[in-house]
Amino acid sequence: MRIIGDLGPHCLTSEGLAEGPCKYSRPTIGEGGYGSFNFLYGPSAGGLLESVAFDILTYGESIEDVRALSYKTRHIKVGGLPLRDVLFKVERINVPFAASHTIAFLTAVENALGVSPPEEVVESRIAQLELERIRNNLLVIQRLAEAASFLVPTYRLLYYVEEVNRAISRSCGHRYFLGANYLGESRCQELHLPRIDVEELRDLLSNRIFIDRLQGNGVVKEDWAIGPAARAAGFSYDARLEVPELKYRDHGFKIVTESKGDAFSRMLVRLEEIEVSLKILEGVEVKPRRFELPSREGRGIGRVESPSGDLAYMVQVEQGSIKELHLLPPSRINILLFLRSMPENIFTDFPFNWESFGIWISEAEVSIS
Amino acid sequence: MNWFLRGIRRGILTEKEFPQVQWPSELHRSKEGEVKCPTDALKEDRWDPNRCIFCRACEPILSPTGRSVQAQVKRSEPSFRRSFYLYPIDVGTCGGCNLEFRLIASPQHDMTRFGIFLTNTPRHADALVVMGVMTPKMEEVLRRAYDAMPEPKLVILLGVCAVSGGILGMPPDIRGDVVIPGCPPTPESILRALVEAKSGE
Repeated sequence: MRIIGDLGPHCLTSEGLAEGPCKYSRPTIGEGGYGSFNFLYGPSAGGLLESVAFDILTYGESIEDVRALSYKTRHIKVGGLPLRDVLFKVERINVPFAASHTIAFLTAVENALGVSPPEEVVESRIAQLELERIRNNLLVIQRLAEAASFLVPTYRLLYYVEEVNRAISRSCGHRYFLGANYLGESRCQELHLPRIDVEELRDLLSNRIFIDRLQGNGVVKEDWAIGPAARAAGFSYDARLEVPELKYRDHGFKIVTESKGDAFSRMLVRLEEIEVSLKILEGVEVKPRRFELPSREGRGIGRVESPSGDLAYMVQVEQGSIKELHLLPPSRINILLFLRSMPENIFTDFPFNWESFGIWISEAEVSIS
Repeated sequence: MNWFLRGIRRGILTEKEFPQVQWPSELHRSKEGEVKCPTDALKEDRWDPNRCIFCRACEPILSPTGRSVQAQVKRSEPSFRRSFYLYPIDVGTCGGCNLEFRLIASPQHDMTRFGIFLTNTPRHADALVVMGVMTPKMEEVLRRAYDAMPEPKLVILLGVCAVSGGILGMPPDIRGDVVIPGCPPTPESILRALVEAKSGE
């Protein structure tokens, strides 16, 4: 059994809900000695894709401790709203992971109502999750190359990110899967695969200057890690093999792991997972399909492997509306891992370590009531 | 292979025409019927792109045309014709606008061919690109970024959240010289609006 994270008042584990909160060691706030000072980076600064601030305790170069300060907390009300309206809000919690959020939410609703989606819908969902993973992994590697001012690969990777967006748009109508999934319906028409030269991306590994910035940076080997951060530390954790609803085992899916647990290992895992995802997509057929959702009441959990790790929803459905909704976004766990891994590194390590976790502040800081 | 040589061997990837996108694109009424729009983007048979989140709840009564959603450029600035420096600020996004805005730098779009660049500080910025719904702690940050900018300056509201609040909140309390609807707006519609705002062709 492994700990996944806090889901409302409970602790979600690989074997189901346990009493919460999860018992993992949370970061402690360090104290500086003589000559130390606090440096504030953010919330709106060049180099950051989203608004977030960091309070960094330092003596000048080495980082003793880091705290993340939230600035863009959005308060989203869902209680008592019809399922349809909640779905539109869930899609927009973190649009780069919209497929993961929507599919986890819809799975939770379907489990609450005691219904299993047909095979075509499951296939379509697998295709969406893998396309989203490819795009996000490319983006994370692009951000790493950009942090190193490694410009040709930076723009080659942006080219591929755009190509994936176009393939998603052709397949499902929207570049970020908005509206592609609905209650009792999957609307993606036909799968269009992006053309990605994985061998070209592997050439990044032949640049010693680039990989020097990543090796040994931000080592984290906590057994409560999730997603690529866990797999980079040698843990075979992946919701794709743990969740029965999405039948990944039928697609010959295999987990990619590394062992060092540093930013380089996290990048290697993401790079290899692009190829794994492309292979899964080759065996998937996508077509639109509707199915009946019964009008029942109940409570259900939905979990998927988002590009940055486990993402889960727990819902209570009553009379076609949401009575209760809890979210476990992967970025919340990844921020804890990032904060834990940062002390004993230096300032120049900061952007590489931050980008290597694939964190989205939009989902980490959202408050749902 | 050396990355520099690889870049050259790939040739020019920048495009003059971009592929059609269905969602978001301009919507038109293709059937009669009632629509229950979650953001009131349909009133008295008029479709308001500034409120539309392109959720597809109106399908098939309204359907996409594939034409890029039109931005409204209320004020352009001819002095930015040769170089136009943008400072993006995220006051409460879902990450979608951030990513689409980033993609105007992709080789397919290449914003620099139009003399459009990003800057890391509002002190060097010609335009402030505001994205997301207003969140309480970002109000002060937004005001200080705006005040730090030299004149003349433009404010660009990017995405339906910044324009009308969308489905998740309230828009920032700032007057937009350029309004770019979409959820999120595509790189094409962002680029078209930016070129028009700098009085380019």
